[in-house]
Amino acid sequence: MRLLELAGYLLEGASTAERVGAGRIVGGWEYVYAAYGITYAAIIVYTLSLWLRRRSAQQSEDFR
Amino acid sequence: MNRVRWAIFIVAVAMLGVGAWLALAWAPPDREMGDVQRIMYVHVPQVWMALLAATLNFGCSVAYLFKKSWKTDALAEASAEVGVLFGAVGISLGSIWGRPTWGVWWAWDPRLTTAAILLVAYAGYLALRRFVEDPERRAVWSAVTAIVAYVDVPLIWYSVQWWRSLHQVQSSPKTVDPQMTLVLRWHAFAFLGLLIFFIWSRYQIAMAARKHELAMPAELDEGARIQTSQAAR
Repeated sequence: MRLLELAGYLLEGASTAERVGAGRIVGGWEYVYAAYGITYAAIIVYTLSLWLRRRSAQQSEDFR
Repeated sequence: MNRVRWAIFIVAVAMLGVGAWLALAWAPPDREMGDVQRIMYVHVPQVWMALLAATLNFGCSVAYLFKKSWKTDALAEASAEVGVLFGAVGISLGSIWGRPTWGVWWAWDPRLTTAAILLVAYAGYLALRRFVEDPERRAVWSAVTAIVAYVDVPLIWYSVQWWRSLHQVQSSPKTVDPQMTLVLRWHAFAFLGLLIFFIWSRYQIAMAARKHELAMPAELDEGARIQTSQAAR
């Protein structure tokens, strides 16, 4: 049992060392999704704000 | 003209949709940064657009001081607001990218500091436009403010070359995987479309506000310059 655990640690360590050796940052998809989510949300909110302001400007012109 | 404006928006949004697939599934991960490098495809173009909007704002401000026109003033206002939007999102995305790569959300590095100064300067510019009621004074004061604020733009661009910075220097297509270059350019054109659509739409709102303020005729032609307000006094 102990031997198996040890083998597991060794394999995991070798794989980690391989990744670190390549200089890679592993994972991080949550940061990627957050960045794209913020971008799309900002575009949607700003487009909506422009549309509402344009409509309000048109209404005030019509009123005038 | 409104059809052209909306066509630009639809094309830009469609390009962003395809761009999401290209950036998240098609482009290879970076050798050093792995998948977090994919943030570059939305971070870099948005900062470019903020700098482009600041340049347009600067050009309009200089033009206004030479030849007073409500059109250049409205375009300056529109470009500043859209520039602040792209700048704020671009800096936020840079901060998100910084956390897994540098280990911190923010560092007072020359590139980040100059970018933050630009954002604060243009937010101040927009606040100034809100506080000054007289349209002519507002236009002149904000034009001068915009010219002063623009000094920061070359500092942002060259900061990574002039000072020893945590932020990387500008990449070149020669040093980057061609797939990455293509995805970056694709996004740059998509965001350029959005920039044009946003500035165009915001310009129309600004012009409507000027007409309302000055009770100008509905159709503004080349002759409808600042003299209209002077005559109205």
